[in-house]
Amino acid sequence: MKISSFTQIGIATLALTGLLAGCGNTSSTSGTSPKATASSTLVVDEDSDPSTLDPGLQYNTESYTVYRNIFDNLLHRDPKTEKIVPWIATSWKQQSPTTWVFTIRKGVKFQNGESLTANDVAFSLQRILNPSLNSPQLSNFSAVKSVSASGDTVTITTAQPDPTLLNELVTLSIVPEQYIKAHGNQYFNLHPVGSGPYEFVSWVQGSSVTLKANPHYWGGEPSIKNVEFRSVPNDATRIADLQSGKADIAFPITPSDVSTVKRDSALQVLSVPTERVAYLAFNALGNTPTKSVLVRQAIAYGIDYKGLISSLEDGHAQPVKEVLTPIAFGYDNHVAGYSYNPTKAKELLKEAGYPNGLTLDFDTSPSYDQRVVQAIQAELGQIGIKVKIDNMDQSTYLEKVQSPSHNWGSIRMGLWSCACMDADGTIYPLFHSGTVWSSYSNPKFDAAVTAARTTTNTAARLADYQQAFNILQQDVPGVGLWQVDALYGATKNLQWTPDAQENFFVQDMKLQ
Amino acid sequence: MWWYVLKRILQAIVSILGVSTIVFFILHLSSNPVLLMVPPNASAHDIAVLTHSLGLDKPLWVQYLNFLRSLSEGNLGYSYVQSQPALSILLQRLPFTLELACTAFVLSLVIGIPIGMLTAFFRGTWIERLLMPLVLIGQSMPAFWTGILLILLMSVVLKWLPSSGAGGIQSLVLPAVTLASLSMATIARMTRSSFIEELDKEYVKTARSKGAKTFRIMVQHIMRNASIPIVTIVGLEIANLFGGSVVTETIFAWPGVGALTIQSITARDFPVVQAIVLFVSIVYIVINLITELLYVWIDPRIQLGGAKSV
Repeated sequence: MKISSFTQIGIATLALTGLLAGCGNTSSTSGTSPKATASSTLVVDEDSDPSTLDPGLQYNTESYTVYRNIFDNLLHRDPKTEKIVPWIATSWKQQSPTTWVFTIRKGVKFQNGESLTANDVAFSLQRILNPSLNSPQLSNFSAVKSVSASGDTVTITTAQPDPTLLNELVTLSIVPEQYIKAHGNQYFNLHPVGSGPYEFVSWVQGSSVTLKANPHYWGGEPSIKNVEFRSVPNDATRIADLQSGKADIAFPITPSDVSTVKRDSALQVLSVPTERVAYLAFNALGNTPTKSVLVRQAIAYGIDYKGLISSLEDGHAQPVKEVLTPIAFGYDNHVAGYSYNPTKAKELLKEAGYPNGLTLDFDTSPSYDQRVVQAIQAELGQIGIKVKIDNMDQSTYLEKVQSPSHNWGSIRMGLWSCACMDADGTIYPLFHSGTVWSSYSNPKFDAAVTAARTTTNTAARLADYQQAFNILQQDVPGVGLWQVDALYGATKNLQWTPDAQENFFVQDMKLQ
Repeated sequence: MWWYVLKRILQAIVSILGVSTIVFFILHLSSNPVLLMVPPNASAHDIAVLTHSLGLDKPLWVQYLNFLRSLSEGNLGYSYVQSQPALSILLQRLPFTLELACTAFVLSLVIGIPIGMLTAFFRGTWIERLLMPLVLIGQSMPAFWTGILLILLMSVVLKWLPSSGAGGIQSLVLPAVTLASLSMATIARMTRSSFIEELDKEYVKTARSKGAKTFRIMVQHIMRNASIPIVTIVGLEIANLFGGSVVTETIFAWPGVGALTIQSITARDFPVVQAIVLFVSIVYIVINLITELLYVWIDPRIQLGGAKSV
């Protein structure tokens, strides 16, 4: 039988198509995305999928935002007062400058029914400290020398007095020791069990994580019964999801999207000043003009901070006097700070030996708002500094600016939050001469910030930071641009007050 | 022919090895993924410890030999960031890309080929003037623009279809149309030029003079002769679609291989990127082989592996 050419072509095409095994029929694995029709489901658009749901591993925002709802942390920061309050630890005592004893809450159960004990708390910290887990969080707890459990108490010893230990323990999630030992780390990451307000339901990787309320939660069953965290990388799509009702809350949103959200009568913008500071850091050690303190001062005077806040950040930012936000411990309000003064900037440049201006490299990556970088380029152009922007991807950028040779450009922009509300988490890693970020060295500054991190005496620490900020004001290894606002787009049905630490606790939210 | 297939499979293994070697070195020379993994306050010591623990401080050639050894055992490594085997991460994303690619492929075929045939046959008429701009738009609108416009119209204004995510047929429509628009245009243009070339040939005139119907001429007479270049371009389009579309998947928050690619490259998650590249190169090689075998099926005069002398 002769096959007609049409049939033959048809078969050929079908053959090509048919070879693609697994075509179609994936809807069963993709699951359904329950739309927030019932007011008991909250749909959250994040810009990325969590890397892990094991709280001992990744600490990036997209992972933490999700898993923090499944787990309880040892301590908690009250979102209203920003004070550290009891959570899984009901009380704590500093027995000696390096020994802390925590009493663990009784009657807390993990979602699999097992009781949460002091052993689980000790285990949660020990596994992060154990190098074989390869936990990126190890740096947060590198001051801890040992941790042990006895009865309902946990004792943590630090190598030297550590004033920010409690701040770090606010981020320590408590995991079930028996469950992890029985199933292994890999299984635990995909099937997390915690003691928190929400239970894990499912995770379609790259797409969404679904949680449901834990009816036996020790703090009371949360009001929102189901949560779906979706991963939506595109900014415009997150806004479209809000407008079309697909999502109830979306973040991050850019300052330029704020007006779009505000125009929609069904939506609201939730915002709060955070402990994140936008700043410029200068290369004071490399072979570049910013070696000169006069050039650094000139740059600090050459930027119109208020103008940038109103034009680029749409007013969603607050001026700062230093590279720290006013809500962090150690912020010194007595420092003069820098404000826009182009005449003074030009004088300083002349004094530094650049009467005809100079050229500087601005190293940056797409992780930082390029509009800000370009606006600063334009402003420095006004005072005679020609800025060349060198834009590279984030990992290349880190490799370059963190190189011990200080062989990078002259200026970089940064956004910094230590999530610890303490100057130690910001100016120590940014400007102490021994850290990866610092391209600045001043023994007096080093001594002050080191003293502040090795005593738990609050008054002494404040005095140290006062001294440190006075040095920074003079030396200008970096300049604070503004305090960043966290911006969330949400449906008007959502009641929630975001906090300065950018926490995302669904148990604090209500849907009408 | 079997000898030819065997030879091509051997060639494929060499190509895949070459591709994975190049990707291995490009990635490992690009920068240290640990810098992106640690919290910002990490010290140089913390970074060194984690780098050592992941084996990234070993000499590059040692890392390369380890990579080859694992590869020969079928082990694609363990994701630095996601704490799972790279292969299982890829396999979780694959069904989504297949679903989207199949739909887009079928769409581009059933729209592209008829448009190509019509515009070839009705050259100079209003049909061509109506359809060719559509093809042009499909070819020249970038996916990030088409995608956002479709979301605005169909989801935000009309609220007919979901704006993002994967779940059910409805959510498939917008990304599939966005993805198909470029392939559709390519296939339509190739079909059109291929048909135009055949239309002037003698056998078409003969068929016409015998009174054959236009449809019959198009489908039975011209299709077979015009199909070689079409099959070639269709094969390439499939390979493109199956590699996962980075842009379309990102816009529609579609959890496929394309979105995974961009995510893993940004995080310098070497094992996952290597797994994806290996997969995509295998797709290209297999589809090219199938396309060549189809040539013989369509036109028996074609001899694979060099024609024998007559």
